[in-house]
Amino acid sequence: MSRFAVVGLGAVGARAARQVHALGPPDELLLTSASAARAEEVRGAIGGPARVAPWDEVLSSAPDAVVLCGAGQPGRAAAALEAGAHVVASTDSLSDIEELLGLAAAAEGAGRMLVVGAGFSPGLSCVLVRHAAGRLDSVEEIRVASSGTGGPACARQHHASLGRPGPEWDGSAAGWVRPPAGSGRELCWFPDPTGAQDCYRAELAEPLLVHAAFPSATRISARRAASRRDRLTARLPMLRRPHQEGLIGSVRVEVSGRSGPLAESHVLGAIDRPAVAAGAVAALAAHWAVEGRLARSTGSAGLASLVTDTAGFLRQLAERGVKAAAPVGAGG
Amino acid sequence: MALGVAGAIASALRLVVRQAPPPPTAGGWRELSGPDLR
Repeated sequence: MSRFAVVGLGAVGARAARQVHALGPPDELLLTSASAARAEEVRGAIGGPARVAPWDEVLSSAPDAVVLCGAGQPGRAAAALEAGAHVVASTDSLSDIEELLGLAAAAEGAGRMLVVGAGFSPGLSCVLVRHAAGRLDSVEEIRVASSGTGGPACARQHHASLGRPGPEWDGSAAGWVRPPAGSGRELCWFPDPTGAQDCYRAELAEPLLVHAAFPSATRISARRAASRRDRLTARLPMLRRPHQEGLIGSVRVEVSGRSGPLAESHVLGAIDRPAVAAGAVAALAAHWAVEGRLARSTGSAGLASLVTDTAGFLRQLAERGVKAAAPVGAGG
Repeated sequence: MALGVAGAIASALRLVVRQAPPPPTAGGWRELSGPDLR
């Protein structure tokens, strides 16, 4: 009997629950939310094996996998691992991701996998990096850029991240460095219709997650698209309530290195509503963890380390409507 | 320092028009399919 749980039913969680069901209905799908009305609404939309359950019941029911969305993911991940479940954490918060990676020993002790940062960015971005790197013999530089936000929690995280420095890997100098947030403006070309966006350094988790998969890369950096108002107000509280859900978001990865004697650079991207894509990535990661299709079966890591069959992962995502893209005639 | 401040003010007032480089993706984007995903 297969049993999955989705905890936190905001913009990402509701999509994750639907995708967990669509990817192969489990015998039981437990839905947990702080709002009983929201949980009931999502349960009604999914039907079938879905039922609303409090967090304590999720833990006592020994689920195969728990997908965490919303707040408090490190604490819940530790408890779910102890309960014997694989855990997929969709958070994009750097501090949460650092804490989740620190649960590696607990995950290994439980013999379960803790997938960290399984969303749109990080998440899909990490899979794209791995896929692009597959065309190279050696990877020298990885650059990730993202644009757009999902639900309100994601918008708050986006706002805060623009005011705080994040880690970058510079293997030719000091290793991990933290350049100022808002520096390093770079014009990044995302898939249409996003097009060109000015992107800046921010508190982003991709370098941390990607470095674990490509420790020999010389430079790993991430940028986030921001407007002048975003940058001006980044260190202040949000001036207005975040929208219920952002519109179109994009990710773009550029992986440079060597293929035989040649220096090559490969660019991949994706465009979607971030919450929709994040839900699909988290749900697929949960199914792959249960099916034993990830590169490891215990421990804690991001998708750049865990998804070796990137083509298979991207194919399944494309079937769910989340499609990756490559630029035509420019290193794609 | 003074040059930097002057540059920032000029940029904010849009006195300096930044010339965007030509898009490296001028040919557009294509969805990954077939051989890309094998």
